[in-house]
Amino acid sequence: MANEKVDVVVVGSGASGSVYASVLAKAGKKVVVLDNGPDRPLTDLISSDIWGRRLKPAGGPILLGGKNPFAYANQGAYAVGGAALHYFAQFPRYLPTDFKMKSEHNRGHDWPIGYEDVAPFYDKVAEQIGVSGDAKAEEKWRPPGKPYPMPPLKIFPAGKVWLKGADANGIHLIPMASGMNSTTFKGRAACIYDGWCADGCPIGALANPLVTYLGEARKAQAEVRGLSNVTRVLTNQAGTRATGVEYYDAQKQRQVQEASVVVLAAWSAQNPRILLNSATDKHPNGLANSNKLVGKFMMTHHIAGTWALFDEDITPHMGTVGAQFMSYDRYAKTSYPGAFGSSFMSAGTSHKTTDYAQSRGDLFGPALAAYMKRAARGLTHLTIFGEDLPNIENRVELISDKDEYGLPMARLIHSFDNDAVALWNANFDQGMKIAKATDAKECWPGKGPVMPTAHLHGGAIMGTDSSNSVTNSYGQTHEIGNLWMAGPCIFPTEGASNPTYTIFSTALRGAEQLAAHWGSVAG
Amino acid sequence: MNDIERRAFVKGAAIGTLAFTVGAADVMLTPRQARAQNVPLRTLTADQAATLDAVGETLVPGAKDAGITNFVDQQISIPPEQALLQARILNVRPPFANFYRAMLGAIDGASNKAKGHKFAELSPAEQHDFINLMRQNKIEGWQGPPGPFVYTVLRSDAVDVVYSTMEGYAALGIPYMPHIAPTKKW
Repeated sequence: MANEKVDVVVVGSGASGSVYASVLAKAGKKVVVLDNGPDRPLTDLISSDIWGRRLKPAGGPILLGGKNPFAYANQGAYAVGGAALHYFAQFPRYLPTDFKMKSEHNRGHDWPIGYEDVAPFYDKVAEQIGVSGDAKAEEKWRPPGKPYPMPPLKIFPAGKVWLKGADANGIHLIPMASGMNSTTFKGRAACIYDGWCADGCPIGALANPLVTYLGEARKAQAEVRGLSNVTRVLTNQAGTRATGVEYYDAQKQRQVQEASVVVLAAWSAQNPRILLNSATDKHPNGLANSNKLVGKFMMTHHIAGTWALFDEDITPHMGTVGAQFMSYDRYAKTSYPGAFGSSFMSAGTSHKTTDYAQSRGDLFGPALAAYMKRAARGLTHLTIFGEDLPNIENRVELISDKDEYGLPMARLIHSFDNDAVALWNANFDQGMKIAKATDAKECWPGKGPVMPTAHLHGGAIMGTDSSNSVTNSYGQTHEIGNLWMAGPCIFPTEGASNPTYTIFSTALRGAEQLAAHWGSVAG
Repeated sequence: MNDIERRAFVKGAAIGTLAFTVGAADVMLTPRQARAQNVPLRTLTADQAATLDAVGETLVPGAKDAGITNFVDQQISIPPEQALLQARILNVRPPFANFYRAMLGAIDGASNKAKGHKFAELSPAEQHDFINLMRQNKIEGWQGPPGPFVYTVLRSDAVDVVYSTMEGYAALGIPYMPHIAPTKKW
């Protein structure tokens, strides 16, 4: 079934897609947003780790491979609003060094832009959707910018107990920059610190797309269609222009949505899959893939977590799922001898019963029951994310298994290299040193046979031209001018800090560019 | 809006309920209620249920009466995108029913081989030892999904029904403080 042609179809409604929808709808464009997940009202965001699982994928179309498979389902989304419906809303920035890894270290890639190109958009996003934090304190590590519109979130004992240990190790912890409201902001409520953020925040204190950019897009008449599975980008006969997308609706009926511009914002795994599945005789390798770089350079952060258990009641259930403190003091890419890559620390998140149980996965039976009582009073956590370098062997590729619409599924293959493993181990050592310098009764590394992962980047990276990349710095593909990519898929390196603030900001930069040059792009 | 008013989003039942089939009708019950009312299972066999009850109770005391088997049986009987199982988050490929059958089959197969009895027929001490070996992937001749993964998945289910409900929080002395409490809605 064909639908009325629109100006732009945005595939995906998360952090990046919602920004494009908002900017373009407010610029007067007719916008349709398609998302494979259901369009839930805020009142469906139930405070429960059990019920919150419904916001995440259940099986395909991405299967996993490699030595260190990515935690796909835990990080992905099955809902309008995307993963930003259940994210932790930690809003650290990337640092200038992240944009110049090749120049500074002869490793990985340079971005075709620098920190100074993204910085104005960090400030704009903060003003538009609200960020709580202490910008001045961050300037120890980054160039100056505008202050955040809200002061930092409240501090709770489970965060405060880390200050002593960090200080003893020369690590300066400052309040986490957060996409949660410490005060009311633009009519949205202030946070009440119940710690259910990752199961969806129904009061609007957390800047999820439903209450920010997607809400604005809807007000500007953008149409959002949930349960719409996009399978292919369609092109004209010459293969020079995208003409729209094919998708299957909630009734599993095939639909075609024609558009003057197509924006793929369906996350780093699904975006390449759609491009690869859109192959034609003019694009036998898939769209925007004559250089065979689509699906390549997949990156994910590894996590070194340290647990600490206190005798006193530090109210672990209170606060937000985003950490209370952060530090870039081990962010320099050569911070540890024998390892390479940035590390980003955060401390003091709220924990619920599933966390208590997972913190000692070896315990069961009466020992677990006794431990749960202690954890409920005294458990806290320090997280250190570590950087994964871009490696062309880490990739998304089509496989022979088919989805319910008959199109090839994809496999996301990921392995950490020796640098990443060395960095992971160094971060555990660092975490334990900090924990031992606190007043904790016990502390232990959350280390098992599996290297935990978080955040996904790459798959359609930006660069200077088609010899080294899929898109330009705005996300416009080199090969098809009206086909744009959005989200972390365009990141050529991943830094070590949570990426969503940078996703919002680079998407805003791209969307404003598209709106400003609409005529030449849309034709 | 003050905290109390915002928490007035809370509504309905104090414990999350699921749709169980009683007679020809769907009835909203907690897994514990479903077990107490002996609600018929949809997918698991009696043998599989006995194994899951025993494994769940060994992993987390109280899991059997909290309805782990009714919970899992209901969850593997609905479309995967509606399921609330931790298996979903651990990237298990649907259908989940097949995976649970494989896990329970592996446990009883290994138990039969090592002890000559199904897991549910072992003594509590033997059950504890078996789970401890399974956790460490030290059961010889194990056939099925990896033992440590089976341990992780079933332990998570047991934790869910015992600790991650509102009554589980109350038992630990933690204020639940929901914005929106689990209700009949989902």
